[in-house]
Amino acid sequence: MNEELDSQLSAMFDDELAQAECELLARRLSRDVELRARWGRYAMIAAAIRAEHGVRLHARVAERVSAQVVSESALGAAVSARPPRWWRPVAGAAVAAGVAAVSILWLRGQAPLADAGVQPPLAAVGHARAADSAAPVTAALPAPAPARSDSYVVPPAARGALAVVPPTELANYVVAHSLFTAPVARGTLLSAFMTSESATTGTAVVSQDGPEDLPRDAPGHAR
Amino acid sequence: MGADVSDLSLVRRVQRGDKGAFDALVLKYQHKLVKLVMRYVRNPAEAEDIAQEAFIKAYRALPQFRGDSAFYTWLYRIAINTAKNAVVSRDRSPIEYNIDRNNEESYEMQGRMKDSETPEGLVLTDEIRSTVNAAIEALPEDLRTAIVLRELEGLSYEEIAAAMDCPVGTVRSRIFRAREAIDRRLREVFEGGLGRTEELG
Repeated sequence: MNEELDSQLSAMFDDELAQAECELLARRLSRDVELRARWGRYAMIAAAIRAEHGVRLHARVAERVSAQVVSESALGAAVSARPPRWWRPVAGAAVAAGVAAVSILWLRGQAPLADAGVQPPLAAVGHARAADSAAPVTAALPAPAPARSDSYVVPPAARGALAVVPPTELANYVVAHSLFTAPVARGTLLSAFMTSESATTGTAVVSQDGPEDLPRDAPGHAR
Repeated sequence: MGADVSDLSLVRRVQRGDKGAFDALVLKYQHKLVKLVMRYVRNPAEAEDIAQEAFIKAYRALPQFRGDSAFYTWLYRIAINTAKNAVVSRDRSPIEYNIDRNNEESYEMQGRMKDSETPEGLVLTDEIRSTVNAAIEALPEDLRTAIVLRELEGLSYEEIAAAMDCPVGTVRSRIFRAREAIDRRLREVFEGGLGRTEELG
């Protein structure tokens, strides 16, 4: 055994070796079983000199710990896989923000379907009752429609969507309103309605096709 | 030098996955840790079990060790907590301190009375101790003083140099030669069949 190496080992055991030398010797100590055995005996000598009563100098703690450590996964892998400490709160916030964004998008995507399901358009109800199947009709008319109201005022939500105004309700409104108007104005109003119906293709399609698709005795059929 | 440099160099190696470096740390501190744990449990075998558990906990926690404190301070803290938990879980009270610690003979005898170790085990420990003591007695005065000041009093090389009025390099050499002389006697005893050499490594 190299005497200089042993001298360094003794100094390292006392924590009296320069850092650079410590690094080199630590590497050798971890690989050289004989050197490590000598290191262990230095510890035994120290314990004997200190006369640590009750402590078994030949204790096999190191042996047992070493055997158990062998079964553990290497710490190096754990260290490299573990993210830096500062990254943890950032990652947590990012995950929370992601969950919130997904939730908002999901809820926004669900809202029209929920509305349609709760308040189906009258035409759709008519189709559904006629065909005894609500789902395809609802899917064919995706835009939300206002619920039937006793007054003839179109709800604000439906003002921007001409294509979804139920034609039967609109026709009822015009007919009912014409009963209280002068004949000239009534004719003007009816002609204006018909003109607007033909000009607005979406509404016209719905209003013209609707009654023909429905059976005559269907509840949603306009009379 | 000092300031836990040697421990830290080993710790860094363990953190990179070097298990042999952890073996070196365990070899260095196993006796001290058992001694510390024996303040909480009386039985040496139980103290060794707790020390073993503390070492394993330390090994698992080493990735989080950043070196803010000395390694042995950190390790001792783990050992104390492990010992306290063991005492609580096993519903045992800590060791009573009404023992006369100044009377080494009675203190050691009391410890032995409660020790579940076999007579052979006690003989082995006594044999190691008497071998080391005999080797120290046989050392030249300067070597003996240096190793005793270091191991018994815990002085640094610089403090020993001041006390012995010699350079630090001389202190280092004296301590190394003292250890080598004691180790030689120890190896002779073990190779003579008293104990198993693998127990030393």
